[in-house]
Amino acid sequence: MKDAVRIQQEDFSQDEEILALKASSRRMGGIATFVGCARDFSEGRDVAEISFDAYGSMAVSEMKQLRSDAIAKFSLLDARIVHRICTVTAGDNIVFIAAGAEHRVAALEACRWMIDELKLRVPIWKKETTPQGETWVVAHP
Amino acid sequence: MINVLFFGPVVERIGKNALEVGYRADMTLQELRDELALHYPQAFEIVCFFAVNGQHVRDLAMPLADNSEVTFMAKFSGG
Repeated sequence: MKDAVRIQQEDFSQDEEILALKASSRRMGGIATFVGCARDFSEGRDVAEISFDAYGSMAVSEMKQLRSDAIAKFSLLDARIVHRICTVTAGDNIVFIAAGAEHRVAALEACRWMIDELKLRVPIWKKETTPQGETWVVAHP
Repeated sequence: MINVLFFGPVVERIGKNALEVGYRADMTLQELRDELALHYPQAFEIVCFFAVNGQHVRDLAMPLADNSEVTFMAKFSGG
């Protein structure tokens, strides 16, 4: 089975990730997921592609800590975080987050919390290619 | 020797993704930051996070050990 926390070039399968999450416990009654994907428009400009740079070892370490923190904070049964580091175009997947809990509220709140924290804590940077040139993205809210 | 790493937008402003700085006894993260900021002021305008050996550091008074890996980072934009 794939690690619950990964950075990788290739796309991920949401079905596989959810199956892996469900396999961790038969007490899971709620699963919330977030998929971040590439847009073709940002800050008033067309975006042809998005590429990423990451401090890989620290990014994985921070994502593992983030998963552990979420499990403890929301009493989750399991959680998974996958982030792609590659070049993507509109519609491509970028990040997958899943939270599994006994009930829906914890799963939904944990999922939202994990993506918000990932943006604050995890050393990954996004560069957009537009008709005006390449621009490193300032963090989005 | 201190191994200094850069990523993303900081690399673009410095022109390289790593450099080595000679280690001095009692050297702090603040001293290293100030020294590099003199040479690369445009890059350090956007540096707002620091890591030593892969761990976030908020106290710039932290003393550095020889062979430390230090990273000066811009605001993250993953996800």
